[in-house]
This record gives sequence, C-alpha cells and structure tokens, in this order.
Amino acid sequence: MDKLKKTADLLLDISSLLMVSGANTNRINLSLTRFATTLNCQAYSMVTHKTLVLTVTDNETEATFTRVKKIPKYQINFSTISSISRASWSALSEDWTIAQIEKELQTIKSQGRYPRAIVLIAVSLAGAGFCNIFKGDYLNMLVAFISTLLGLYILQTAHNHKINGNIATFLASFSASFIASLGVSYSLGSHPQAALATSVLFLVPGVPLINSFTDLLDNNILNGMVRFTNGAMTFLSIALGLFITMLIFQLN
Amino acid sequence: MEEAIIKVSELSIWSGIAAVGFGILFNIPRKTILVVFFLGLAAGLVKFFLIDLNINIVLSTLVAASFVGILSSPLAHKVHHPPVVFSIPAVIPMIPGYYAYETVLSIMSFTFMEKDPQKRMELMASIFFNGFTTIFILIAITIGVSLPLLLSRKETVKKNDGK
Repeated sequence: MDKLKKTADLLLDISSLLMVSGANTNRINLSLTRFATTLNCQAYSMVTHKTLVLTVTDNETEATFTRVKKIPKYQINFSTISSISRASWSALSEDWTIAQIEKELQTIKSQGRYPRAIVLIAVSLAGAGFCNIFKGDYLNMLVAFISTLLGLYILQTAHNHKINGNIATFLASFSASFIASLGVSYSLGSHPQAALATSVLFLVPGVPLINSFTDLLDNNILNGMVRFTNGAMTFLSIALGLFITMLIFQLN
Repeated sequence: MEEAIIKVSELSIWSGIAAVGFGILFNIPRKTILVVFFLGLAAGLVKFFLIDLNINIVLSTLVAASFVGILSSPLAHKVHHPPVVFSIPAVIPMIPGYYAYETVLSIMSFTFMEKDPQKRMELMASIFFNGFTTIFILIAITIGVSLPLLLSRKETVKKNDGK
C-alpha cells in the first residue's frame, strides 16, 4: 500500500507539473502511461484545469489507490515538458525505480528559468521584430521595443504580487498600448500604428489556444473548451486595455 | 525582384528573432534556441515568399505553419526534445496582430465616434473583413502546426506499446 501511495503521489506530481508548464492533455496521459508502465502498475487519470484525479492499480496484487491533487499556478515552461518527456523515455528503457524517478523530478523542478532581464530584452526584441513584420520602420520598432519592455515589466511585477491573471494582462496591455499611442499622437516614424498594434502582442495566449485545438482534435473536449475559454478571457483583457487607450487618445 | 528578395529575407530574420523572443518567454531549453530561430526564419521565408507571389495571407500562413509542423517531427528526433518545444514558438510570429488591431480600432470608431452613415458602412466592412481575416489566420496557424504533430504521433504510441 505504501508503495502505491508513493507511486500515486509521484505520478500526480509529474502530471501537475506538466499541466502548469503548458502540455496538452494527451501528453500528460502519455507520460503517465510511460511512468506507470515503468513502475509496474496502471494509472487512470482525470485531468481538469484546476484538479487532477488519479487512480493507480498494481499489476500484480490489483490493489488500487486514488488521490486528488489541486493544480498550482500556471506558468509556461517548455524546458520542464522536454525534461519530463526525456525522463519518461529513459525510465521506460532503463527500468527506473521510484527513487530514481523522484530524484530526476527534483532535478527537473530545480531547473531555473532565464533571468528576468534576459526575458525582458528578448521579448522586447520580439516586439520590435513583429513591428518590422507589420511594415514599421526602425523608429516604430524602437517604440514597439520600449512599450513591450514596459508592458512585460508590469506583467511580471503583477505576477510576482499574485494579482489575478486577467487583471495583470489588462494592466500590461493598457500600459504597453499607452506608450505606443504616444508614438501615434506625435506621429513618430512612417507607420506609428504598427507600433501600437504590436505593443500588446507579447500577451497573446498562443500556447493555450494551440493546446485547446489539439485537445479538441484528441476528443478531450472539456479540456479543449476550458483552454479556449481561458485564451478568450486573455484576449478580452488585452482588447479592454487597448480600448481604453484608444478612448483616451481618441484614435480612429 | 532583387528588392523583393532583400525585403523577404529581412522580414524572415525578424520572424526568427520574434520566435526566439517568445521561446525565451516560454523558457525553451537553451540548446533549442538556434533551432527555434531557424525554424521561425524558414516559416517567415515560406510565408512572405508566398505573399510576394500574391497568394492570400490565410493560405500562405496555413502553408508556412504546416511546414513548421511537418519539419518539427524529424527535428524532434534529431535534437531529442519534444516537437511542441520548437514548433509553437516558431509559429508565434505569424499571429495576425495588425488585423486584430484594425478590428478593435474599427469597432471602437463604429461604436463610440463615427456618426456619418456612409463612413459607418465602411467601418462595418472593415470590422468584418479584418475580424474574419484574424480568425482565419489564427485557425490556419493552429491547424497547420498541430495536424502534422497529431498525425505523426502514432509512431510514438507504437514504440510505447512495444515495451
């Protein structure tokens, strides 16, 4: 029983880590199956946005154990997804024990993210790149860079203060578009509107929307709808911030 | 012609940079940064080249996103990272930000500012054209990038059964 309890806890930990890192439902089930096969048991799970339910059955004794786990705050992390995927393959081919998997999971959890300053600069450069794609000149790209920098800074600060995600998105969208609108009202560069259009793009919920689509195609309809709604809420928050800026600056 | 090539390459390089920027936001593994850059650049080349040939932007996006989706499966085996890690950041630069912006702007003018009926008709047309283009491009991106991944997944499952 103790072994089953440990297995269930471990598998729940892995699935919740995958869920918050931005994996789709199929990937979570696949990883669960791989790890459960390694540990000589079977896992049946119910994955929802906020909670995980998991039952493990021992292949030999047929004893079962069920646990529920609340999913922590979402933060996309593709390194985690990648490491867990690789670990699941090694575990399967090298017949890892529970202790080995636990140790690997601890290593994966302790992997850091990119430093805040690097993220800020990289995403702002991405904003400038977007501006170039939308036919902005170098002055517009500079405006897009600065507004993305400020917007992302505010978003990160809001996340650190554990402010509601949609409100954080709204604040970031409003401040980024506000800075870019200054460029429009002083008509900086050849195409100032391009800078305004790109200033909020770093907020676009690309991962939830793509995951939503793959979940729907996989017949994980409920999860797909939840992810879609989540993405739509983010879109609404972005649009609201942009709306208010446009009202203030009377753009048309 | 030469001018077009320079323009397309410049846009594609910025697409690659945008892809890497978003990749870093999503915390991709360090070793995949270069892959993401070149995948984003390649997607940009395909898309802007097709647009240069006067092909509709929705269709161009679909082709470019499928290109990323198809390429990411063999790449995943080569660099030993799951395909989502570099396919999602690579398609992010194709997000139709400008169309979305025009849609929001037209809705704003239509609802709060414009009084002239003729101009309101034009705004209606703008809302529908830009709004639906935005939606269709978003659908093209998601279908393009996820369908090849879904189709290629059979192999992974088979290997798993073998154990």
